[in-house]
Amino acid sequence: MNKIKYVFLSVVFLSVNAFAQDQEQPEREQGHPNNNKFKQLYDEFSTPNMYRAASGAPGAAYYQQQADYKMDLVLDDTNAKLSGFETITYTNNSPDQLKYLWVQLDQNMRSKDSKTPLIQNDATQPAEMAGSFANKYLAEPFDGGFNIQEVKDVNGKALPHMINRTMMRVELPKALNSGEKFSFSIKWWYNINDHVNGRGRSGYEYFPEDDNRAYVIAQFFPRMAVYSDIEGWQNSQFWGRDEFALPFGDYEVNITVPADHILDGTGRLMNRKEVFTKEMMKRYEKAKKSYDEPVVIVTQADAEAAEKIKSTKTKTWKLFAENVRDFGFATSRRWIWDMMAVKIGNKDVMAVSMYPKEGNPLWEDWSTKAVASTLKSYSRMTFDYPYHKAISVHAKNQGMEYPMICWNYGRPDKEGNYSDRTKFGMMSVIIHEVGHNFFPMIVNSDERQWTWMDEGLNTFVQYVAEQDFGEWYPGALSEGQDKYPSRRGPAAKIVNYMGGDQGFIAPIMTKGLNTYQFGNNAYGKPGTALNILRETVMGPELFDYAFREYSQRWMFKHPTPEDFFRTMEDASAFDLDWFWRGWFYTTDYVDIGIKEVKKYFVSNEPNAQIKEMVKQRGMSLSDLPPLVYFVEEGSEDFDESLRNGSAMDNSSTLKEYVMDNFTPEERTKIKEPKFFYKITFEKPGGLVMPIIAEYTYADGTSKTVKYPAQIWRLNDDEVSKAIASQKEIVSIKVDPNLETADVDTSNNAWPKEMNQSKFDEFKNEVKN
Amino acid sequence: MKTLKFAFILVLLPLLAFTTAHKYYVSVTKIEYVKEKESVQIISRIFIDDFEKLLRERYDENITLDTKDELSTIDVYIERYLTEKLKIDINGQASKFIYLGKEYEDDIVFCYLEIEKITHIKSFEISNKILLDMFEEQENIVRTNINGKRKSFILKNGNDKGVLNFN
Repeated sequence: MNKIKYVFLSVVFLSVNAFAQDQEQPEREQGHPNNNKFKQLYDEFSTPNMYRAASGAPGAAYYQQQADYKMDLVLDDTNAKLSGFETITYTNNSPDQLKYLWVQLDQNMRSKDSKTPLIQNDATQPAEMAGSFANKYLAEPFDGGFNIQEVKDVNGKALPHMINRTMMRVELPKALNSGEKFSFSIKWWYNINDHVNGRGRSGYEYFPEDDNRAYVIAQFFPRMAVYSDIEGWQNSQFWGRDEFALPFGDYEVNITVPADHILDGTGRLMNRKEVFTKEMMKRYEKAKKSYDEPVVIVTQADAEAAEKIKSTKTKTWKLFAENVRDFGFATSRRWIWDMMAVKIGNKDVMAVSMYPKEGNPLWEDWSTKAVASTLKSYSRMTFDYPYHKAISVHAKNQGMEYPMICWNYGRPDKEGNYSDRTKFGMMSVIIHEVGHNFFPMIVNSDERQWTWMDEGLNTFVQYVAEQDFGEWYPGALSEGQDKYPSRRGPAAKIVNYMGGDQGFIAPIMTKGLNTYQFGNNAYGKPGTALNILRETVMGPELFDYAFREYSQRWMFKHPTPEDFFRTMEDASAFDLDWFWRGWFYTTDYVDIGIKEVKKYFVSNEPNAQIKEMVKQRGMSLSDLPPLVYFVEEGSEDFDESLRNGSAMDNSSTLKEYVMDNFTPEERTKIKEPKFFYKITFEKPGGLVMPIIAEYTYADGTSKTVKYPAQIWRLNDDEVSKAIASQKEIVSIKVDPNLETADVDTSNNAWPKEMNQSKFDEFKNEVKN
Repeated sequence: MKTLKFAFILVLLPLLAFTTAHKYYVSVTKIEYVKEKESVQIISRIFIDDFEKLLRERYDENITLDTKDELSTIDVYIERYLTEKLKIDINGQASKFIYLGKEYEDDIVFCYLEIEKITHIKSFEISNKILLDMFEEQENIVRTNINGKRKSFILKNGNDKGVLNFN
């Protein structure tokens, strides 16, 4: 008999629910595709194949092309011109036959007929200053494009070629089969631009006081484009923002500069004894054994002496680099140069800095140490730094990376004073640019296509490295600081962007050229997303293993976004389709809060709901089996006396059941809950994320529970949790430590906290 | 003089290529009308280095923002500059704001402004020319929350005004 009643009762509950639903949906709705936030990414991802495995690793037939360069370069310091003769040996490792090769001519972005200015949006002005009018309409534009003098095969026979802006197609005398090599040469020159008054990644800074230039030279030579299984030829034009896609190869480069110049660049210096003085050699030998403090190879006094006399002779510096994707160098008679050794694994790497005296005292104090610290942090997070040196060059306003060498800003004023902003700006840019040695110089993603793959990953590791740097070099911090003030990384710092105008936000999975707010889109958001993934979603142990796995799988190879996404799951058993979908493929933001909290007590008496249900079914209360009832605090059925008793005190049904089914010994072990809650969480934001709920109890203790993101799988708007507790809950806070980038925290607390607005807070502070 | 220095920057703009710096020129001004306080609360967020460059060029070479021993004249200059470049008309009347002060966070300076004694808002007009005299690409985003309605504008050279009407 009792059993039948139970069945009946459950039917009653079900039908009540069904009725409620009917009321909400009077009409039959149309169907819909799978819009679930947890839907697998099969539609977005390409199908795995022999080149790229489903695990995210390179597939069995993975290949990449090789481009080896031999270059002779001559710098004409008087006219700020660079000319070069280069021989490229291209190896076709693809299974495909190639009829032509594509060569990148990045400098053509600066040519007179560059189309880059034509895609800029500019407004008509009601009036203009005469000077600006003259510059705009009357002055001859700077001609910084390549002058390609010849393209020839090894026998000196001219090769037909066609230049389409920043890309040059070179016709092959006969098609290049799989496994074959082809060598050809290009002779070129171009006018070097002033990068301070013209803003570019490469160029010179002019110092009028002593009529000298400091050159930082990159993307200066015709470079092979990438041919791959995913893009074929990656010959998407260089408009000036999206960076580069480059194959690996060996570089043998001879650079002829004025004899009094100091030069460093990508690769091993092959003729050190020819270009170093005896004194420099001595200092260099000392630097190789100095692990704590940099040793100055060229002092400020040396540089000041050199800037006064201009040598008319020349010197050739010979560099050789193996397995790099690019080449850059810096040369000037004004450089100060210091070096220090750093142990990476069981190998010594040289941390190097080159800077004009304008960078001191900041640069002599911190640059080389920041380089060494960065190499250690990144090596821990990825793989041991495989090259023999890393150079940080000081170039005004610059922040740009090449293999083994990068340009960085951060300059004190004329008296040598600097603000915290200048100091940390300089340290952060060095850490960032040296970090680029790992992404994308070694883990060689396609920057032209996906800015975030190198910038986002790099910004994430940069945050880890900055925190390490603050810990390892507390002297670098300012008074009152106990950790490095990172500008990007912590979740709270991306809230303003993610909570901003949707019209001006693009998903991370957007070509860099087409994004709004480039810095937030390609650096800040992906960097922060990975930091949140590490610290809040996966935990450092799982994340770090998978991140290292990705780095090592794709070291010296060309990964795609899916290779990254897949590897992170493959190596961790952490289902992340929802995370990639939300954070990388949409502009959704996090907003999770508490909608409602109801408190219940156990009672012997049926509550109003049950009474109503029984009445509707034409039954009487005596027909019901013995049940444990819940009564909501403050409802009509609520009796203050319920507060005093335990669940068993308040429900004889429960007490009798326990007496019948538990032994006396078991009964002593029962931890009887007294307070019952139904907590409803709401999610106005589109992103699914774990709910981090901090429960604070009447006795002052608290407990934090993390509900996995999958709690949202069946209801994207709200979910509820029933909680039984021995102690009374007095407050609940969602995301108490601001680790999810919740854009609106006004709904994060129960009872609701009346927080002062930022404005009122400031105003009150000013008043007092 | 409304506009300067375009050509210079126009030529350079395509070459812009900073891999770490924020190098897009943007400010964000949030405006909220709090009716019960009869107050229009304004917070302008401006990149420190851009603002510093401007204040140096316009007023005093020695200005350095966000240092311990900041020049006391800085607030005077900021107030003067903002008063000149940020114009607000409420209900058809030019409305003056009080400059409450500023604070720094990372690379951004937050400027706090308030217009008092506003009992109702029927129309709201804003012109924001902050930094337009310095950077041709400067964009000033204005986000308003007035009478329960949210709206945002991007104001820049040639289009520096936003108008809202409430009925």
